[in-house]
Amino acid sequence: MSAAAMAFDGVTKQFGDFTAVDHLSFAVPEGTIFGFLGGNGAGKTTSLRMALDILTPTGGRIDVLGNPPSRESASDIGFLPEERGLYKKMSVLDTIVYFARLKRMEAGPAKQSAMALLERLELADWAKSPVEKLSKGMAQKVQVATALVNSPKLLMLDEPFSGLDPVNQKMLEDLIADAAKDGATVIFSTHVMQHAERLCDRLLMLARGKKAFDGTQDEARAALPARLELASRTAPDALPGVESAEAIGTAEDGWIKYDVRLNSGVTPEQLLEHCTTNGFGLRSFDVQTPSLHEVFIHFVGANEEIER
Amino acid sequence: MREVMLVAMREIRQVLGTKGFWFMIAAVPVALAVSGFASNQLAPERSVAYSVVDETGLYEDRITARLEYDYQASELRDLAEYVERWELQDAVPDAPWASRQSWLFPAEVERFADMGGSEAAIAALEPFREEGVPEFEPDDRSYEQIAFPDDLTLPDAGEEPDEKLIAALEGDVDVEDRELPFGAVLQIPANFGEPGAEARIFTNGRSNTGLIRVIREELSGSLQDGAFAAQGIAPDTALAIQGLQAPVSVIEPPPGAGRSVVATRSVVPIALVYLLLITAVTTGSLMLQGVVEERSNKLVESVLACIKPDALMQGKLLGLGAVGFMIIIVWAGTGMIGALYFEGFAADVLRPSLEALDDPLLIFAMLFYFVTGYIVLAMMFLAIGAVSESMQDAQSYLTPVILLIMIPVLIVMQAAISGPDQLVVKVLSWIPIYTPFAMLARLGTGVATWEIIGTMVLMVIFVWIELRLLGRLFRASLLNDGKPTWKRMVGWLKSSEAGR
Ligand SMILES: Nc1ncnc2c1ncn2[C@@H]1O[C@H](COP(=O)(O)OP(=O)(O)O)[C@@H](O)[C@H]1O
Ligand SMILES: [Mg+2]
Repeated sequence: MSAAAMAFDGVTKQFGDFTAVDHLSFAVPEGTIFGFLGGNGAGKTTSLRMALDILTPTGGRIDVLGNPPSRESASDIGFLPEERGLYKKMSVLDTIVYFARLKRMEAGPAKQSAMALLERLELADWAKSPVEKLSKGMAQKVQVATALVNSPKLLMLDEPFSGLDPVNQKMLEDLIADAAKDGATVIFSTHVMQHAERLCDRLLMLARGKKAFDGTQDEARAALPARLELASRTAPDALPGVESAEAIGTAEDGWIKYDVRLNSGVTPEQLLEHCTTNGFGLRSFDVQTPSLHEVFIHFVGANEEIER
Repeated sequence: MREVMLVAMREIRQVLGTKGFWFMIAAVPVALAVSGFASNQLAPERSVAYSVVDETGLYEDRITARLEYDYQASELRDLAEYVERWELQDAVPDAPWASRQSWLFPAEVERFADMGGSEAAIAALEPFREEGVPEFEPDDRSYEQIAFPDDLTLPDAGEEPDEKLIAALEGDVDVEDRELPFGAVLQIPANFGEPGAEARIFTNGRSNTGLIRVIREELSGSLQDGAFAAQGIAPDTALAIQGLQAPVSVIEPPPGAGRSVVATRSVVPIALVYLLLITAVTTGSLMLQGVVEERSNKLVESVLACIKPDALMQGKLLGLGAVGFMIIIVWAGTGMIGALYFEGFAADVLRPSLEALDDPLLIFAMLFYFVTGYIVLAMMFLAIGAVSESMQDAQSYLTPVILLIMIPVLIVMQAAISGPDQLVVKVLSWIPIYTPFAMLARLGTGVATWEIIGTMVLMVIFVWIELRLLGRLFRASLLNDGKPTWKRMVGWLKSSEAGR
């Protein structure tokens, strides 16, 4: 594993008696797209704020780009907060340049970079307009631009997809993928599994401030008992490694479809091999990859407020 | 520091982008211009030409002499003020102008006139006039007598003036090198003094009240003289009776201490109290709106990811402080230009007031109290912004705070003018939020140096403490959702790690 762009080591954050983040440890390898998954109140925003030095941890150690959290790193970081807002009267271009300047860029390069981004976001014609004239979707793009303007090494996005229409969600996914392609490390939090599923190399699942899972998508799925659909003449529930089998639909020429769950640790390949060697007649055999949503429910529980 | 400047520049640009700011900044110059214009328009012309057609030949000289006397007396009064202002009393110690009251005494006025009036006085003072001391500027005579123009005719008794006379009275006449409005013609009929005969004054419609009053008094005086004579009272006795003056002596305070001087010296500091209130409250509200916008819109988190809350707060203070300073510069600048280059009421008040500010400590103290007062108030507005969710929310804090500031300030202003030694004023001078106001209000009346220095030290300490507390409040409240309770706010103020 290459060096970590961000690492938490036993980090705890308490607000009074309430523990928002509880002994959290994980590392984000450089160049990966890393997803923070968790329901409302899981501690995603709090964790990101600690990494930005907006909040100070109660305990533990945080490392961001090789240093403790500090505004010194602001020039290498792009941040999109969960709740969006811009100065209404400021022009689009001035807004982006202002944030670039706050992140220690010089005026000239800041302006160039801002214009280039606006071209890319198809907002160049709006550069001189005040933010209040923009539609909500356009304002969101401007805010994304303020995070990207300094070509950050580390991009932190807190619930970046919330409030975007599907077209803009797609555009943002592309931007994230592009940033990663250019070598940036991207960390984003979400309670919508679909985006994480499409984008993330690695995931961190949080449940009430505690780590529930940390690893790649494949590792996450492998942890779930396998599931498949097969068609046979006899019920497969007696086969070795089968946890349960439920008939679905009606018989067709004597063939019946079953929804089969395997014991954990048993792979569909092992079952298929058993069937062929033992002459167990099969007409179809479809392995069902678990959705990230299912994975999440497995790790975190069903009563978290999340979306598929 | 770089971030502080960036924030400050953004704040300045934001404020300069609002219409309200430009209205406010234009308000004072416009008010000055209007008052100057109005007083120019309303004030009578400085000089007016008049004619006397005295068919009796008895009264004209008397009126001319009286107008001349009044002119010389007013010159003498102005000259004595000038001499005192520039400390030239010792130049010609026994001259009439060496004393402030001599214009009240006919003998002195006559002596002044006989000596050659202002012209002679200027020449006599010239050798003593040091560099930087302006030459005395004599006023023009208010009423210049001219011969009744040959081409005009006066109506007979009881008849209306002809068109030509009316037209002439609407126009100007040349007097020496000047064009003066032809203000009035006095017609005294040959039978004046007999019952039914009346003197008539044809005027140009403007109220040359001074001239008319003098004519009335002198004509009445002449008639009274005649009446005295008719009663067998010798002219000398009559004169003595009229010349009887109740023995009233005029006692003046020592130079530079009188009420008029004090009041004059207080004009600028007290104007500053008002300007301080206006600028602090208006720019403070802008500042407040800015903070509430950033907070309610969660903008602040993007900013805080890049810079520390303290830098944000300092940037705001600096930016809005610069805006406040700009307002003062524009106002003070236009005020001074107005005072120096334009005539009129505002100039008449401002010019001597600015001239009275002759003490460097006074000027420094004025600026000091203004700036610290501005900072103290601005920080209160920032604090309100930092704990408010919305403008309505801010209003509920703002009203009591503004009352808390305004009421004692208004009391101070009243008290400071009527009696600067009152206890309220002294006590308020030592309560930091009111110190700048109370001290500014008192400055012109003379305050002990120890009190000035003591309150300055107090202000420096207070501003420092306020900055620290505000820093904590800012850090703690910016990212907190919802309206904080008083208890939580107190908690934040107590802890330096508040909210982090
Ligand atoms: N400043 C704060 N003071 C007190 N509690 C807070 C504060 N910020 C967050 N919390 C609490 O910490 C928990 C985690 O919040 P957060 O990190 O915002 O969750 P997420 O972003 O995963 O939805 C929540 O229960 C929230 O109410
Ligand atoms: Mg959150």
